[in-house]
Amino acid sequence: MDKDERQTELAALRKKSHMPAHSVFFEKIIPLLLIILGVIMVGMILFAVGVLVGIVKF
Amino acid sequence: MPVIELFPFASAAIMLAFTIYVLQRYSVRHTPHFLFWGIGLAMFGAGSFAEAYLSLAWNRWVFFIWYLFGAVLNAAWIGHGTLYLLSRKKWVHVVTVVLVLGSLFATYMMLKAMPSLDQGAFSTSSLISEQYGSSILPPGQPVPVGAQTKVETIQGKQVTVVRGLLPPGAPVRLTTPFFNIYGLLTLVGGAIYSAFLFWRKRVLPNRVIGNVLIAAGALSIGFASVLTRLGNGRFLYLGELLAAILMFCGFLVAGQPQPQEQTSPQRATSPAD
Repeated sequence: MDKDERQTELAALRKKSHMPAHSVFFEKIIPLLLIILGVIMVGMILFAVGVLVGIVKF
Repeated sequence: MPVIELFPFASAAIMLAFTIYVLQRYSVRHTPHFLFWGIGLAMFGAGSFAEAYLSLAWNRWVFFIWYLFGAVLNAAWIGHGTLYLLSRKKWVHVVTVVLVLGSLFATYMMLKAMPSLDQGAFSTSSLISEQYGSSILPPGQPVPVGAQTKVETIQGKQVTVVRGLLPPGAPVRLTTPFFNIYGLLTLVGGAIYSAFLFWRKRVLPNRVIGNVLIAAGALSIGFASVLTRLGNGRFLYLGELLAAILMFCGFLVAGQPQPQEQTSPQRATSPAD
């Protein structure tokens, strides 16, 4: 592989390591997903605390 | 055999492959997060295998494995691996000691519950997740369809109990919220935090996606466990299968080599590091 090819490949790899600009998926969907996952996680923790303190019967 | 009863076989096979993959990485890198992930995933796999076995036949020690590893411990051990990945400070070692002691205590509580298992309540015709726990039937409430009941005296009062394998109010069941809260915080919280860090820096999109998949997988089994606690255990097998697929995919996606690693090694927060 000559020097030019190597540099082209490295440039492509660097591009791959960064999020694409103006991507709806990364700009909108990912943050929304992170918020939803976080809310579900908090809900489940509250449920488990409810089991511990006896609010949720088993 | 209903299709849903095949899910634990598939989950166990995926978790076996996942565990081998992670432990191979541990054998090369000797970093503690791979070890805890490997142990936790092995527990998850053992729980799935036990579930598959219990859909065919009864064995009290297989039930022991199912409850202790599948319901109580695995999330906390996998999550502890994530904690080691995010922080390698000394206090994490203290948490390790607490986790190991807590796990030994849960094992002791489970062993203590073994002689009082109501084996007569077991049937291969229903899922183990629907018959593992006894519950006191509130007065006036109808008996759930297909459930067996018995009258017991608890704290001086005669109550109707919906029969299950573990006795009503078995102390070992109180240990599960502790481990699962810790597992949720570290595994799901850790994955969300890692995804957020990469997303904020606008780098390594594969790690953002991988961590989202890991968090979603862990939440799917968590959600199915909540439904099981509420008496609807039929979604547990599906939740486990989804968790196995999503977490393994997340791990593989997050672990793809990146140019930064090839040119300048840096500290990163991905379970596949």
